[in-house]
Amino acid sequence: MRKILIILISLPIFIASSCDKDPEMEVVGDVEIIFRANYDGELFLTQKDYEYIPDMSIKFSTFDLYVSNISLLKEESSTDESELVEIDFVDLSFDINQQSRAEEGDTVFTKKVPAGSYKGFKIGFGVPADLNRTSPNDYGSGDVLATSSHYWAPLDSYIFSKIEGFVDKDNDGIYETSEGEGFTFHLGRDEVYTERIIFPSDPIVVEDGQKLEIYIDIDVKKLFNMPIDQFDTNDDNLLDIEVYDGAHGNQEEELIIAKQLMRNYSEATLLEQ
Amino acid sequence: MYKALLVSLLCLCVVMLFTCKDKTKPPAPGELTHISYRPKPYPYNLPEGFPRFEVPKDNPGTVEGVSLGEKLFFDPLLSADNTMSCSSCHFPHLAMTDKKARSTGIDGKEGIRSAMSLINVAYYREGLFWDGRVKTLEEQALLPVEDSVELHNSWDEVLNRLKKHSEYPALFRKAFGISSIEEMDKYLAVKAIAQYERSLISGNTKFDRFRRGEAVLSEEEMRGYELFFDASPDLPDAECGHCHNAPLMTTNEYLNNGISEAFTTEDFTDKGYGLITGNPLDNGKFRVPSLRNIILTAPYMHDGRFKTLEEVIEHYNSGGKHGPNVSPLIRPLNLNEVQKRQLIAFLETLTDPNFTQQN
Repeated sequence: MRKILIILISLPIFIASSCDKDPEMEVVGDVEIIFRANYDGELFLTQKDYEYIPDMSIKFSTFDLYVSNISLLKEESSTDESELVEIDFVDLSFDINQQSRAEEGDTVFTKKVPAGSYKGFKIGFGVPADLNRTSPNDYGSGDVLATSSHYWAPLDSYIFSKIEGFVDKDNDGIYETSEGEGFTFHLGRDEVYTERIIFPSDPIVVEDGQKLEIYIDIDVKKLFNMPIDQFDTNDDNLLDIEVYDGAHGNQEEELIIAKQLMRNYSEATLLEQ
Repeated sequence: MYKALLVSLLCLCVVMLFTCKDKTKPPAPGELTHISYRPKPYPYNLPEGFPRFEVPKDNPGTVEGVSLGEKLFFDPLLSADNTMSCSSCHFPHLAMTDKKARSTGIDGKEGIRSAMSLINVAYYREGLFWDGRVKTLEEQALLPVEDSVELHNSWDEVLNRLKKHSEYPALFRKAFGISSIEEMDKYLAVKAIAQYERSLISGNTKFDRFRRGEAVLSEEEMRGYELFFDASPDLPDAECGHCHNAPLMTTNEYLNNGISEAFTTEDFTDKGYGLITGNPLDNGKFRVPSLRNIILTAPYMHDGRFKTLEEVIEHYNSGGKHGPNVSPLIRPLNLNEVQKRQLIAFLETLTDPNFTQQN
């Protein structure tokens, strides 16, 4: 009898405490981040000719990157962040037969975030140091970090971004593998990880129960901007790609180039809502 | 009281007798429930430093399933004339290949490509065969039985033979818990074969032991390793590790490695991956094979055009042939003769003794 009485008394308290949670439930919205690529303003497609410098065309075959630590910032100076993505892989290697897919871009799905107005958008280009200490063997197949094609074991690092293709060095209209006209930039190592905070002119507004689309446009040509004279003898502010046609971060020169190309992601990136 | 107890005991005896009688009763024709079904999970025992692989939820590996799959894999009953099995093109002592440029089926007809090694095939997430035409091992195992240039049989005939066989019905029961012979079907057969194929894990090469700190590479092998993975700033990059990354020695990608000259995407005799994706820019691309046990798997490439590793290295050293979609990683390497030998010395460390024995 006494037990029944205790249960009867406890039950309403339990129900009441459960009901209390409702008003405290967070008001959240969805954010979708869509990555798109262009080459000097033109839709970026692999296997398509673009002008690198006058009299030298360029054709890409691969363009991809890891993005990480993406979050929304409440205030410009605050550390009040809402994380959207810890790590994801963006592949923008759509070729000339996949134009509509290139126009749509590669979508990264994010966590739900508290509704509200945000002033800043933070994004990391590459794999941050804590995750870069892991390797594909630590992940089950299907995980973005399980991709062995983007891991370089001798340097214990993920390849943060791959940019591969050909330049027509002799301007004969043919991209020759046997003449070494290929380029392969495999950018990685902790030193080249880059973070950027973008403060758009209009705040990013996440509404309760609504989906917000944020577009990140990357100008691939700007990734080759080169302020270091040693690697820009043509004085056109672009990497002398016909000479420096690869960077794996192993040689000292390659590491300098890799750092610059990864740093260029900051100025090559535009945010649109 | 005694009377009641006596009656109860008598009843119990009658019930027990009945049960015993039931047990000795022969099973109905085709019934398999008298055979115990107690499958034990298969211990895949992944080598240290190896990634996990996905096992389909509807086909978890069991000791009994792997055992049945192995028996089927080696059984010529699968072919129309009882002369060939899966193992006729995938010999265990040849790293699950057949040393032929193009494999030959029961009618002496030659296929268009060489038999791929099945080592570590459990990790092939990006499709199977040289062109990635099927997604899973279960789907893959359905095809060779009915392929006219392979086993040239029909699954109806194979099942007919399996059902009449003195051992298979019981083995299917033990692996999958079927109640009667009638439940034996091709989907269970390929599930078993797939389970066996997933068990073909190689992780015991000298290079694996080197990575685990259990072996030391010779000077020549070490230089070859550094060339292969571009691990030394003092040596040229032989560009191998990009596509043949450790520990699987493949990245499972589809690439054109410049072995066939082509001026347009329509010029490839064998269009490979492009036939599957329908994208002409994928023509001439093939799966990057694993280099495990590469010493044993000559001749090389999808059509076996290179007889020796020396020829393969010469091809890559030359920068390859022109093609509209050749990988930019194919470029003149300028390796000297010593460096070429060092590369081969390293490739020899990729031989796993578990796949060199005659079964």
